[in-house]
Formats: sequence, structure tokens, C-alpha cells
Amino acid sequence: MLVYECDGFVIEKNCPDVVVFPRTAQQVAAIVQLGNEYDVPVLPRGAGTSLAGGCLPVGGGIMVVLTRMKRIVEINLRDRYAVVEPGVVNIWLTKALAGAGFHYAPDPSSQGACTIGGNLATNSGGPHTLKYGVTVNHVLGLEAVLADGSIVEIGGPAEDSPGLDLTGVMVGSEGTLAIATKIWVRITRDPQGYRTLLGIFESVDDATNAISAIIGAGIVPAALEMMDQGILVALEEAFQFGFPLDAQAILLIEVDGLEAGLDAQRDQIIELCQRSGAREVRQARDAAERQKLWKCRKQAFGAVGRLSPSYCTQDGVVPRTKLPHMLRRIYQIGEKHDIKVVNVFHAGDGNLHPILLFDERDAAQVKRVLKASEEILDECIACGGSVTGEHGIGVEKIEFMSKLFAPEDLEVMERLRLAFNPAGRLSPHKMLPTAGACGMEQHHPGRRAAV
Amino acid sequence: MSAVSDSLPITETATPETQADVAQALRDAYAARRAVYPLGGGTSLDYGLAPKQPGLGLSLGALQRVIDYPSRDLTITVEAGITIAELTAAMAAEGQQLPIDLPHAQVATLGGAIATNWSGARRYGYGTLRDYIIGISAVDGRGTPFKAGGRVVKNVAGYDFCKLLTGSLGTLSVITQVTLKAKPRPQRSAFAVAAVNNLAAASALLDALASSATTPVAIELIAGIAWSDISGELLPAGDLRIVVGLEGTAAEVDWMREQLAREWQPLGQSPEFITADLQVSALWTALNDFSSGPSELTVKINVLPSRAAELVGVVRELDATASIQAHAGNGIVLARFNELPPGGMLATMVKRLQPAARAAGGSAVILSANSGERTAQAVWGSPAADWPLMRAVKKQFDPHNILNPGRFVY
Repeated sequence: MLVYECDGFVIEKNCPDVVVFPRTAQQVAAIVQLGNEYDVPVLPRGAGTSLAGGCLPVGGGIMVVLTRMKRIVEINLRDRYAVVEPGVVNIWLTKALAGAGFHYAPDPSSQGACTIGGNLATNSGGPHTLKYGVTVNHVLGLEAVLADGSIVEIGGPAEDSPGLDLTGVMVGSEGTLAIATKIWVRITRDPQGYRTLLGIFESVDDATNAISAIIGAGIVPAALEMMDQGILVALEEAFQFGFPLDAQAILLIEVDGLEAGLDAQRDQIIELCQRSGAREVRQARDAAERQKLWKCRKQAFGAVGRLSPSYCTQDGVVPRTKLPHMLRRIYQIGEKHDIKVVNVFHAGDGNLHPILLFDERDAAQVKRVLKASEEILDECIACGGSVTGEHGIGVEKIEFMSKLFAPEDLEVMERLRLAFNPAGRLSPHKMLPTAGACGMEQHHPGRRAAV
Repeated sequence: MSAVSDSLPITETATPETQADVAQALRDAYAARRAVYPLGGGTSLDYGLAPKQPGLGLSLGALQRVIDYPSRDLTITVEAGITIAELTAAMAAEGQQLPIDLPHAQVATLGGAIATNWSGARRYGYGTLRDYIIGISAVDGRGTPFKAGGRVVKNVAGYDFCKLLTGSLGTLSVITQVTLKAKPRPQRSAFAVAAVNNLAAASALLDALASSATTPVAIELIAGIAWSDISGELLPAGDLRIVVGLEGTAAEVDWMREQLAREWQPLGQSPEFITADLQVSALWTALNDFSSGPSELTVKINVLPSRAAELVGVVRELDATASIQAHAGNGIVLARFNELPPGGMLATMVKRLQPAARAAGGSAVILSANSGERTAQAVWGSPAADWPLMRAVKKQFDPHNILNPGRFVY
């Protein structure tokens, strides 16, 4: 049971009353009906890699773990779609497509563990969503179990089905509207080629200015990631890639597409980096080196374990041109609260992931981490951004919703939830700062902190 | 395009100047249970069922400002009444674009395009409007102004109303302001075109294009008399033609031309290329304007891409002279019937096109019709499995059913 007391957001924990592992949509429907019969919460869960407490069983109830629904039901290359069950791990689909000239574009850093059902719930992104779009841009439809226990198909492989785009609103709904039991996803042609560059910078400011210069020049890289010195040290220790440890920041920049256009784009990016003060710009020599670079980037969070016993990965977004300011503020806020912060993030999207290092056994540190997180996210809002680019609101960020949105905005969101989930039993106390039907502002109802 | 008075039972029209005015008008209408018909450029008033309840026309024409255009962030925030032409011009000045093609760009508004989820030929390469809207402000059927999303390109805070309102035909809310992602304008645009003898040959080419090493932005199958006007100047002679839109840098477009010639050779086809700017632009215009051309009945069919040619065949069996534009790469077939097939509109839709579309994984809807009774079945087809959910959503957004009552699927 302890496995299911939290997800990747470890600051708060609570055990569900029951954990079930359905294998079919009919079983999920029966579970939802039981939840209705006994009036207890029903909470879907994938691999539990979510970072905002979306899988925290607030108020206990039944946890529906979907990892045994793991079949890739169909792959149709001609019509460019695949049908998967929600427990299919993200990378499995791309592996199943290997050699066919296709892949599944959304690539969260946790893609070796996270499930496509979980990606659907949180509208996950990833490095390559800069060019290819986030999960919602790749979901064509779903089969879902609704709050009343009925099973319904929404959308499907043919585009533009008449009626409301319920698929679009289901993606990113954090388990609060329905439970997906089958998902139609778009598959994407592999690009003909890649150019993968490493821009090495003496200062964070130079690196963030280079990002603005690249995007502002009308180049949309497939991915544009930034790593600061703090994370480089951990990565180098873990992978021995040969990162320059004295650099203040590096940019991992990838362009992909037709070979005919790649060298020109690469040269332009090199020039823009140099003009922004890059000390050096390296190019991955071959596919193996490219793979290793991406392995380093995607396993960065694992490497953080070398720096600290616990860490909290934040998720905020600012307009790309505000990145230099925002990075400066992040370091200042860390210093102010005596919390070390390292950064590895999707710079091209303006999607920051400051990682706050701490020891969860020290209550005072936990408090300072929460305070620093709050200040960082407040600054994102002040810059005209958002408090989450891909992790979701979950329980962690519920209190930010009323900072981002007016009461009317939240009221309309609440009404949408009522349309799908009138009794509020599906994933209660998630995303919206109201306790379901009674409309009370909630502050951590019945949640037991880990400290 | 028809006059407002022909299509909607509007007794008077209000032209609010701000979102607050829109909210006030809707609060009043909610209290009085009065129907409200949101109006953009009036280019899609025939789309949907014919509403019968007299009510207020709500023109968004005065909400047409560019609110914020941080072009280096590749985002733009505009009011919903801005015309597509104005939006295009503002973005072109920064070397950027919203790659959504539609007819009547001089009068069609962004809000209208979003409400109808309009798309054109380039959806194959660029996606549709739902992929570009990152923030939206609107007023619901109670007169509650609300917003969702924001002004940054990545944001998962709250429910994604940007998607829900796209294609909702003004039945959930009146859209007042939108933030869009921008794309850089391509350096070069060109076409590869080929005449094919029959649908089997068209299918073979379309299959080859689906696995092509090139990256087209449009894959179109066109047929019928609407295209004869431009045939002499732009297109090879023939009734059935494949048109492939290519965009990118000069080097990319040149390579794709050579590559397509290589890929099509085993199929016995050699593409002709259209590269001169004037001709390229004329062909884009023809492709973008097709759906607004004269017809007795204009239909949109959506099926799996591999079945698009088959549905073109079904249309041609019904009317050999029908003008057709299929966004074949996406499985979308637009058909303009020059005369109603035997049995009339209802039979054409319900007995022929909808069953054929269903068998190919999709559906068929009416975009416009000159005559015949526009029943719910004819216009929208059989209710989908998630229809009760749509109704539940509609009820939450518009409890008195005052927004475009009776026009959409509910």
C-alpha cells in the first residue's frame, strides 16, 4: 500500500483504502460503479511519475492502477495512428514503431516509465514538444469510463468528427472528468536527419539571450534545452559525457527535418550562439553521441540524487523573452531561502524546471523549499506566465489557481467538471480550489505531510 | 456567403465594443431568455441547422484590436473580431503567420474561424486551429466572462477551453479574445501537380505520398468543373488531379521536387511543378476559396486518410460533375454538388454519403444547402456516442439555451 501513498510529489502522502489493478474497460466501469455505490473517491493512476500530486489519494478511496492495461491494440501506419491502452509506457510505442519510419512524438523525460494514460491526464510535454506539440496535439480520441460507470468512445482516428471537441478538454483534465481505457494517438514520421548541438556559455544570461535570438530568428528547433552548472556537475559525475564543468550554462539544441535544410539551420544557430557570447559550440558527431546526449538530458533528474537526499522539481512557464530575468530571480530566491537550486529545462518553450535540493527529514528545510517554490511560481505569474507547463496542478498547485485565474474562470471550470463528474468522486480535490459541490475553498483537506 | 437576414432569425443587431459589453448583452439575454446569434464576418451562417427562435445578432466586428504582439516570443493576442486578412497582415510584417487557410479572408473573423473550426489545405503540414490557440477569453450563456490558458506556449493549468470552444459553433460561449502561437513564414512555396486517369491511380499516388521522404504541407485531390477555370493557366489537363504543396527553404523545396519526381516514377507519373510566385499564390487562393464557391449543396466528409479517394468516388457516382477538393492527407473531402442528386438533399446525405463515410471510419456533414429540409440527421448525421456528454457540457455553459439555439448537434 505504501507504494501508492504518493507519486513523484513526495511532500504529501496518504494511503488509498483499496488498490485495484483492472485489465479491461469493463472492470474499470465496475470499479467506478462500486465507488458510486459506496460513495468513496475513485482515483486513476498510471506509473505514478507525476510531480504535482495528481495521484495523491486525498480522502483515501479506491485507487485504480492502470498499469496492467498495457496492450498496444493497433498500429496503422497508412492512417498514422495507434491505439493503446492507458498503461502502455510512452517509450514502448516508439520502440514498437522502430524501423517503420514513425515514432510517438511526445517524449517526457520520464518516458521510460510514464504511461500514455498518465500523459493524457496531465497533457505531458517533453523536450521535442517545442516543435511537435504536447500530448493534446497527438491525441485523436479515447474510450473512457464516465463517472456513472458507462463506457463511451470520444473522437477517434478520423479527424474533425462533428460535435464538441471533448477529446481536447479530456486531455490535461488530471483524472477529474473520466478514466481513459483506450487512446487513439497520432504517430509522427521520423525526420530524415538531425543536427544536435551543444552551446557552451560563460554566463546564464548569455545562454538565455541565445535562446531568444534563435527563436526570434524564426528557427523552431525540434528541442532547445538548457542546463546550468549545478546540474552539469551531477550529470558529468553520472555519465562522464565530457561536459565542461566550468561553464555556467549549456544549451542542447536539436534541429531536425530534411537533410537539405539542416546544415544551413545548424550554421545559423552556431552563429547566433556565438553572437550571444558562446564560448564554444559543439556538434554531436554521430547518432551514438546524439543518443548519449539525450540520455544525459532525460536522466538528469535521476542524477540529481547525487546532489541531495531529496529534491523538488518545479514547473513554471514564462514568455521566452523573460527567461534571462526569470533565471536571475530563481537564483536570488534560492539564496534568500538558503536552498540550492539547479536548472535543467525546456528553454525553447520558456518552460522552467528549477530543481530545489533539500533533505525531507529536516522540517525547517521543507518549509523553506515550499516558500521558495511559491516565490518562484509567483514570479512566473508576474512575468505573464503559468505555474505549470506539463506537470499539472494536482494538489501541489491548487492554491495558485486563484492567482492565475479569476473566480469566474474557476467557476466555469467547476461547471465543466460538474458536467462530467457531478458527484465529484473522480479524483476529488484535484486541480480546482473548491471541495467539489459545496464550493468551499480548500487548503490541504485531510492531507498528511511527509514531514 | 448569404445575407444575415436569410440565414438567422435576427430582429436586431448589437455591436459591443468591449468584452464587458458582450457580457452585459449576454446577461440581459440570459435574464430575458432571449436567443443570441454571435456574428463574425457572416461567412458561415449557413453552417448548421436553421435556428427558428427570433433573437439578437451580436456582432464582434468592433472587437478587432491587436492587444499584444511580442513577436520574438512567437505569440500574438488579438480580439476575436479581427479579420483573417488583418491578422495575416500584422503577422506578415514580422515574417510570421497563422498557417490556417480559409475563404473570404477580408471579412472572415478569427473568432468565426475558431467557432467553426475552419481549416484548409495546409492542415496536413501545419495542423488545425486547435493546435494554435493557447489562450482564450469568452463569455458564457449566463453572461459570465471567463478565460482559459494564457499567453505562454506551454501551459497545463486548468481545463483546456481553447480546445473545447474551437468548433463549438458559438453554442457554448461568445469568444472575445484569443492568444495564438505564431509560425515563421516559409522562405519558399511551390506545388507539384499531376493529372491522374482514375481513382485507383490517385490512390496509388496518395499511398506513396503517405510514406514519402518529403514533408508536404498539403496533399490535395481535386476534381470537377470548379477547377476548369484555372486548369489552362495552372494545372495539367484532366479531371482528376493531385496537388502537393511544398514549403520550406529554397534548398528544401528544390530537394522535395526532385525527390517527388523520383518517388512517382515507378508509378508512371511525373509531376509538373509550379514555382513562379504569382502562379503559386493563385493556386493557394483557388484552394483556399473552394468551399465558398457556388453549389446547390456543399458537404464535408471526414474519413480515414486511406479512404479519401474512395469517398471522392462515392460523390462522383452521385454527381459526375460535382466539384471536389479533398485534403486527402487528412481524410477530409469537400464536395460541391452542382445539382442535387436524385432523391434530394436528405437522401443524398442520409442514404448515401453518411453510410459511406461511416463505413470508412468517419462522418458527413452539410456546410451549406440551397434547398431541402435541413434536418439534424441530414446536417450533422447520427448523434455520436458522446452526444449525452456534449449536452451536459452545453447545459453547464448555456443553461437557458440562448446561444445559437438549435444550430448545432444538441
